[in-house]
Amino acid sequence: MTLRKLLLAVASLAMASAASAASAASAASAASAASAASAQTTLTIATVSNPDMERMQRLSASFTSNNPGIELVWVTLEENILRQRVTTDIATGAGRFDIVMIGTFEAPIWAERGWLTPLVEMPEGYDVDDILPSIRTSLSHDGTLYAAPFYGESAFTMYRTDLFEDAGLEMPDAPTWDFIRSAASKISEQNDDVYGICLRGKPGWGENVAVITAMANSYGARWFDNDWKPQFDSEAWASAVNDYVSLVRDYGPPDATKNGYTETLNLFQNGKCAIWVDATVAASTITDPETSNVADRVGFALAPGTGLGKRANWLWVWSLGISSSSGHQDEAMRFVAWATSRDYTELVAREDGWVNAPPGTRASLYQNSDYLKAAPFAEMVLSSIKASDPAKPTVDEVPYTGIQYVAIPEFPGMATAVGSRIAKALAGEIPTDEALKNAQWVTEKVIERARFISDD
Amino acid sequence: MTHTADAYQKPVSELDDEQLPVPKHRLHGPGHFLGLYGSEHVAATEFVIGAAFVAMGATIEDILIGLLIGNTLAVLSFWLITAPIAVKMRLSLYSYLDHYMGDLVPRIYNGANVLIFVAISAAMITVSATAVRVLFDIPPQTYPYPSNVYFALIAGSASIIAVVVAYYGFNVVAEFATICTPWLMVMFTAGGMVLIPALNETLTGYTTLSSFSDFVNLAGATVFTGINAEGEPGIGLIEVIGFAWAANTFAHFGLVDMALLRYAKKSVYGLCTATGMMFGHYVAWISAALMGAATASIMKLSVAVVSPGDVAYYALGATGFVIVIIAGWTTANPNLYRAGLAAQAVFPSVPRQKVTLAVGAVVVVGSCFPFIYRSILPILAYAGLVLVPIGGIVFAEQRVFQRMGLKSNWHRLKGAKDNMPALMTWGICLVFGFGLDFLNIIPFVYLFLPTWLLSIILYTVLAKRAGAGQSYPEAEKREADFNRRVEEYHAKLARKEGHSEVKDTSLLTKGIRAVWIVIGLLVPAVLAWRVLFNSPDLYAYYVNRELFYDVTIWCTLIYFVFAWWGLQRSKALQRQGEPSVSAEPAE
Repeated sequence: MTLRKLLLAVASLAMASAASAASAASAASAASAASAASAQTTLTIATVSNPDMERMQRLSASFTSNNPGIELVWVTLEENILRQRVTTDIATGAGRFDIVMIGTFEAPIWAERGWLTPLVEMPEGYDVDDILPSIRTSLSHDGTLYAAPFYGESAFTMYRTDLFEDAGLEMPDAPTWDFIRSAASKISEQNDDVYGICLRGKPGWGENVAVITAMANSYGARWFDNDWKPQFDSEAWASAVNDYVSLVRDYGPPDATKNGYTETLNLFQNGKCAIWVDATVAASTITDPETSNVADRVGFALAPGTGLGKRANWLWVWSLGISSSSGHQDEAMRFVAWATSRDYTELVAREDGWVNAPPGTRASLYQNSDYLKAAPFAEMVLSSIKASDPAKPTVDEVPYTGIQYVAIPEFPGMATAVGSRIAKALAGEIPTDEALKNAQWVTEKVIERARFISDD
Repeated sequence: MTHTADAYQKPVSELDDEQLPVPKHRLHGPGHFLGLYGSEHVAATEFVIGAAFVAMGATIEDILIGLLIGNTLAVLSFWLITAPIAVKMRLSLYSYLDHYMGDLVPRIYNGANVLIFVAISAAMITVSATAVRVLFDIPPQTYPYPSNVYFALIAGSASIIAVVVAYYGFNVVAEFATICTPWLMVMFTAGGMVLIPALNETLTGYTTLSSFSDFVNLAGATVFTGINAEGEPGIGLIEVIGFAWAANTFAHFGLVDMALLRYAKKSVYGLCTATGMMFGHYVAWISAALMGAATASIMKLSVAVVSPGDVAYYALGATGFVIVIIAGWTTANPNLYRAGLAAQAVFPSVPRQKVTLAVGAVVVVGSCFPFIYRSILPILAYAGLVLVPIGGIVFAEQRVFQRMGLKSNWHRLKGAKDNMPALMTWGICLVFGFGLDFLNIIPFVYLFLPTWLLSIILYTVLAKRAGAGQSYPEAEKREADFNRRVEEYHAKLARKEGHSEVKDTSLLTKGIRAVWIVIGLLVPAVLAWRVLFNSPDLYAYYVNRELFYDVTIWCTLIYFVFAWWGLQRSKALQRQGEPSVSAEPAE
């Protein structure tokens, strides 16, 4: 065999292999297309693991039976892992998740980055106007809704009616922090086994910082002025943090820095707290005789204020957004509309009772007599949510949205650092003015870097 | 083969040094190669490759084990394949091809090199531009193409400056690059250490790691998750090994690093490449990935799109800009220079300035497209596939031919214009390699192995048929005579240059060295250590991190001033020690 023949033989072999592969690929592609034509649309939904979402999975058969062309795949993850996975998926436009569960913190940030589909064409009968205005605002960017609310919560005051009665006190519907202090003081004096007040003390942006920020809002404080200059050196912050620290240290449980939402809920359920200012979502648990020792002795009032026009309430919504990179926009829209509709609420009520209906998103729920009967706290929850305005969270103007948080990506880190300093002050390890100086410093540093690496 | 004829006819002293084997007195010991490989492989590419492994969805176990195996295979390849040939021939691959492969092979080879070096240069300039874009408040470039005209302007401007610097000031930048190595090593490690607590806090709520298993868990949950950027299961152990091995295929199997290892006294010094493989391609890759994941978490972005500039800024503060720009430029500079030289070899009749400008223009355009730097790992793997057949051809000549009774320098002896067996082998191997890739039979990172084997077999068969087994008495005599003249010339050269190395033991030099070691390297390392191990909560973390940022930028400045000063003193001293006697050219 000559060199030329050898060369030709090898080249022919390579070409034949390539042609064979191309032919095989073409056949496979045709088979795949045929198969796809007959297959269902699969919607992949990324959610956190909690009882409400487990319920939704259970009840989703109702949706798929009415939409036989759609199959649902649920990806349930721990909250922090979910944030990372979903962020990667959406930021890269990978399109693995069609629908994602997000909170009010993410919704405006992701919407601004173009990662979410605007919900401007919801199916007929969805009734967007039924969604409470503050909830819509918190999930909107530039006036457009980007995520559909599943359930919402605010903060309010929960108190023990029996202890108030014994102390000869009457809780106003809209208490002030001064009243809360005097009530906590009086009840503490009269009861050795009950703490006058319980507030979250555990450091974390979703723990003590949520309560302290909401409280500070009611004192006229704000995280940043309009030029993004941190404001922890203000009088308002000093008053708020001093009052918070003295209130909890004087009348609260010992080791309060170990108490987050869950621990405080536990204390209240066991009759250890006279007053608790926290999330409205706690109401159903502390009024349920099966889970609470004080179920029949709980009253509700608005979150405390100082008369400046803002109260210590907040707003948080879990919602469903559609990834802009999803290849099944119409089907995803149909599912999101179903899961956040009035019909779904009624389905939950039929299956699991009205008390388990997802609260805090639709005005119609609060006009339903069955729900109002099952949830005696409902009107106060509605008032609290209505009073929350994430677009104008503070007395003075601010450049950010969010009430108990600031809707910027860097907030969790800096807020947890601030929370750890305030927890130190609460534990008596450092004075409150030092904690505030530290908060000012760390916020300045983080925001300085964030603005420097601005992606605006 | 005109140049070979020229080589025989000209006095040896008139030949370019590059065309001759390295003389014995210029050979180096192991220390030289330990440092050289450390510096060669701690560069801006590491920022990109670290993040690439994350985007490709490797698991932490596969990374820890796979990179170790892959890099060990790379070290073994340098030791057992590249070094023996380099030490035997004492020539760079380019000179080897010039000598033994006729006209067309080196020309095509240089053409391929132009493309590869242009791509690497463009990628590295884009990396630098990602840092500069932050200074000008330009949005991150998350798409394959430039999504902001000002970014394109910055990348283009940076390229133009880099081209001008490479053209006029190559030696200064190259010299500067030599002092960067220890600093780059410390900064790459420190960057990962500084961002680990922040990353851990986002996952666990704690800033501290109590054990190595905590680190593995953290990296497994946040960085090397096993899920790729498309949300699918990512690459496995086999692919990780392959990527680590193939990242430098063109250097070891492709024999490009003959240019470096030809100076080794012994072929065992090929093992010294371990500094580059085990630090640059292990610690630095993992550290870069951790930095990328932490930055993505802070910025609420995906690691697949977060830019090296942002990563470096969050990891190292202002020093981050310095590291990205310096690492980018010191990598782009030699590659631009190589691209220019290769292009000149392809178009010898076109004036050098025109060729360099044309290459520069392509780099300017390429640097505006972020997809090039994000694809650097596949680019390197495919570049290896293109160049590996040449490595196989040379391997066959130097390690197989003698065993089969063939002459390794048969083509030079024969004196034909083109080495047709080499050309055909290369062409067939490319069809074979890329054909296998098309058929998707094996992972593309391993394509170089069968391609390399085929090139050895094919070239041996074709060369034998073309006359490699024949005898060329006249030419062999001429060759022996030429080699004798080279030896004589080297002996004279050795006498001329054979001064003993001057050792600087002055107090000032010791002081200069102490300053850059302690202030430039040790202080940042200690501060990074504090951030990682002495940050019980996020506030303490921010305090420690800000201190690290604030101090490290000054340490960096001091490091470069004193390291440069030390280098210049050492050079001046060596110049003083050189004898002024001139050697007579050998005839």
